[in-house]
Amino acid sequence: MMLEVRGLGAGYGDIVAVRDFSFSVEAGKVLALLGANGAGKSSTLMALMGIVQQKAGEILLDGSDISMLAADQRIKLGMAIVPEGRRIFPDLTVQENLVVGGHVSEAATLAAGTAQAYEYFPRLKERTGQKAGSLSGGEQQMLALGRALVSAPRLLLVDELSLGLMPRIIDECYEVLAKLRSEGLAIVLVEQNTEHALAVADEVSVLEAGNSVWFGTAKEAAKDSAITAAYLGTA
Amino acid sequence: MLYLELFIQGIVQGSIYGLIALGLTLVYGLLRILHVAHAALFTLGGYIGVIVTNFTGSFALAMFVAMIVVGVIGMAVYKFAYEPILHRPPYIALIASIALFIASEEIYRIVFGPFGLSYINPPLQGQIEIFSGFRLKHGEILVMVIAVVMLSALAWLSANTRTGVAWRATVTDPEMAAAFGIKIQNVRYLNFFIASALAAVAGVLVALLNNLVEPTMGSVPSYKALAIIVLGGLGSIRGTLVAALALGVIEAYGTIYLGKILDRDALAFAFLIIVLMVRPQGLLGEK
Ligand SMILES: Nc1ncnc2c1ncn2[C@@H]1O[C@H](COP(=O)(O)OP(=O)(O)O)[C@@H](O)[C@H]1O
Ligand SMILES: [Mg+2]
Repeated sequence: MMLEVRGLGAGYGDIVAVRDFSFSVEAGKVLALLGANGAGKSSTLMALMGIVQQKAGEILLDGSDISMLAADQRIKLGMAIVPEGRRIFPDLTVQENLVVGGHVSEAATLAAGTAQAYEYFPRLKERTGQKAGSLSGGEQQMLALGRALVSAPRLLLVDELSLGLMPRIIDECYEVLAKLRSEGLAIVLVEQNTEHALAVADEVSVLEAGNSVWFGTAKEAAKDSAITAAYLGTA
Repeated sequence: MLYLELFIQGIVQGSIYGLIALGLTLVYGLLRILHVAHAALFTLGGYIGVIVTNFTGSFALAMFVAMIVVGVIGMAVYKFAYEPILHRPPYIALIASIALFIASEEIYRIVFGPFGLSYINPPLQGQIEIFSGFRLKHGEILVMVIAVVMLSALAWLSANTRTGVAWRATVTDPEMAAAFGIKIQNVRYLNFFIASALAAVAGVLVALLNNLVEPTMGSVPSYKALAIIVLGGLGSIRGTLVAALALGVIEAYGTIYLGKILDRDALAFAFLIIVLMVRPQGLLGEK
């Protein structure tokens, strides 16, 4: 198992955002984390990166606990995040955003990773020297994905990939996700858009108010309309 | 020709303001702290410059030592004065900073004496005739050269090195920067080192131009630099430099033409008030 999370608790100061959450993903698989707004999905991903405070549990990467490691170590071990709201660095150029993505990488990895990102998203290549803040929403999402890929991760955490994007762009981003999965990346995917998530996911975990309330395969989730209706707000 | 002379004098003074105020902008940009104690480091730079020059006879060495020592002390100021109160509202850090600044003046008085120090053999006193009847001291030319060289070097580094890019990323979104493995702590240390080293350079140069460093040397710069960074648009590096040069020039003219009505040091605030009435966001500030 590439990533195994056991009894994760996470939060902000006294605020508990996630409680006793367990899940796992293996190479070449996609786990979708679903749940309403405020359920604790983003907090979970940020806790996996070591940014939001972990309060309990274990995060096992290839079997060893990385709970105590800082973000740079986790990236070196193969993790990377595509955060909610893209959060590209608007004052930096496209190229510089990618350089940040490879901040902890060797120069060779950085060069190869940047080339790789441009290969996935040729539109970024045309805009290397442009300020990232001047990109369209779709291009910014591509940049956020590209930035995460520069360090050549094995485990990708993706938060709200489709939010606020045009359907054509969403498809383009999901095609890249599918390609990444077929190359053997493990992906944890947070989505509000259940339909998209279920189409690409292998397994699904549903969070509600910081608690895990349902777990199963994507097929089961798609069939079980009670799940989607009750927890995801769609019928 | 008087116009041109005043202009050049203003640029010299403005370069000094720029070296001092840039550090404030760097600290404000990263931590949203108004780092009043920055001016104490400026004064310390002056002391180190004079003392090391007098001991070794080398002004260049003095400059180098001042930059390193003051840079490290700036890092210590961050570590011990600001870091423990970063999660508090910004005015707490401001109060701490003012306290530190006042304390520093007294410390300098005790350690270096109340009357100030001078260069025994002031270096760079030769003059060059820029045009007929107008001369600049080597020291004044050095001020402009150093300002241009240092600021260009910094601009180049911030645009062309991974550390520079990481620093700029951290300024815009520290949490995301951290999520990509940038050590925020190190960025802050580096930021304070550079800011403080620039203040030290300015201190050494002012001590040279006045051939005097005294405990209160930082008191006027402390508030004038605040006016400059507000004038430039808080957090804007380019704005800070424009405002610094503009203020230097305005003061140069103002002393001649308004000297009877308005004190030189009051001009900064008159200028500040006028600009903020027209552009509340400052000269190059956003929004
Ligand atoms: N920076 C923060 N400080 C305090 N509480 C936060 C912060 N970010 C999120 N929360 C709280 O944590 C809980 C989970 O939020 P989040 O992880 O963003 O949910 P989701 O991504 O599922 O919408 C919410 O109650 C939210 O209010
Ligand atoms: Mg979220």
